Amino acid sequence: MTRQAFLARLREGLRGLPAQSVTDIVADYEAHFNDGEAAGRTEAEVAAALGDPDRLAREIRAESTMARWREERSPGAAAAAVFAVLGLGAIDILILLPVLMGVGAALIGFGVAIIVCFFVGAFMFAGGPFMDPPGGPGVAILGGIGFMAGSASAGAILTIISIGLMNALVWYGRLHYRLLKPALEA
Amino acid sequence: MPEAIEIQLKKGALELCVLALLHASDNYAYEIASSLADAIGMGEGTIYPLMRRLQAERLVETYLVESPAGPPRKYYRLTEAGRQSFNSQKAAWTSFSGAVDQIVFGGAKA
Repeated sequence: MTRQAFLARLREGLRGLPAQSVTDIVADYEAHFNDGEAAGRTEAEVAAALGDPDRLAREIRAESTMARWREERSPGAAAAAVFAVLGLGAIDILILLPVLMGVGAALIGFGVAIIVCFFVGAFMFAGGPFMDPPGGPGVAILGGIGFMAGSASAGAILTIISIGLMNALVWYGRLHYRLLKPALEA
Repeated sequence: MPEAIEIQLKKGALELCVLALLHASDNYAYEIASSLADAIGMGEGTIYPLMRRLQAERLVETYLVESPAGPPRKYYRLTEAGRQSFNSQKAAWTSFSGAVDQIVFGGAKA
C-alpha cells in the first residue's frame, strides 16, 4: 500500500472525530512515513508494519469515544461508546448483543417505573390534604414523601448500576483491540 | 483463546516498555515504535493511540525539535506523574513476573 492510500483510508475511517484530532492523528502517521523512508524503508514496508488502516481507525475511534465516556458520563457519550465497541466487530459482541439489548431495555423500564413512582408520590403529597384519603391527610402527605424519597434513591441506585455496566462494556471492548498482531496480512 | 491472552499480556507490557524507553531518554514515536515492534512483535501503528492516551493522562508531554531533513520532529518526554507511574508499574511488574516465574519454573529460573 502506498502512503497516499494508507493515509486516505485512515482519514476516511476517522470521520466523525473532531477535525483537530483527525489532523493530529494523520500528522503522526505522516511523520512515521517520513521517518521510515529516512531509515531506508519503502512506503509499502512502512504501511505493512503500521497495520491495517481501517482497523487502526476503528480502534482509535473506540478509544476516543471511551475516553469521552470516562470524562462526560452523559447518555450521548454512553451511546457513542456502545456503538464504537460494536464497531470493533468482534463476533462475541454480536452474540452478546441480544443480552445487551435485554439489559438495556430492563434498565429503561426500571427508569420509567421509578419516575412514575416519584410522580405518584408527588401527587399523594400535594393532593392528599384535599381528597380525604383513608387514614387522613397526614398519612397521605407522609406516604407521598416516602414514595418520592424511595423512588429518588432507587433512581440513584439505577444510575450507579448503569454506569457500572457501561464501564464493564468499555473494559470488554478494550479486550478486542487486535492490532498488536504484526499486521502482515494488511 | 491463547491468542487473546497473549495480546492482553503484550498490551499491558507495552505501556511499561514505552515508559521505560522514555525514562532512559526522550524520544520520538518512530524510534519508540521500531524498537518495540521487533522486541514485542506488535504493529507499529499501535504506538500512536498509546502515545495519545499517555499524553491525555499527562504521563508524557511533547516538544518539537528541528530536524535536519523534513519538518520538525515531535519528541516525547516523561512528566513527573509519568516518572511516578513508571516506578510503580515497574515495581508491580517485578513482583508479578517474579511470582509467575516462581510458579511456572518452580525456582529453576533464579
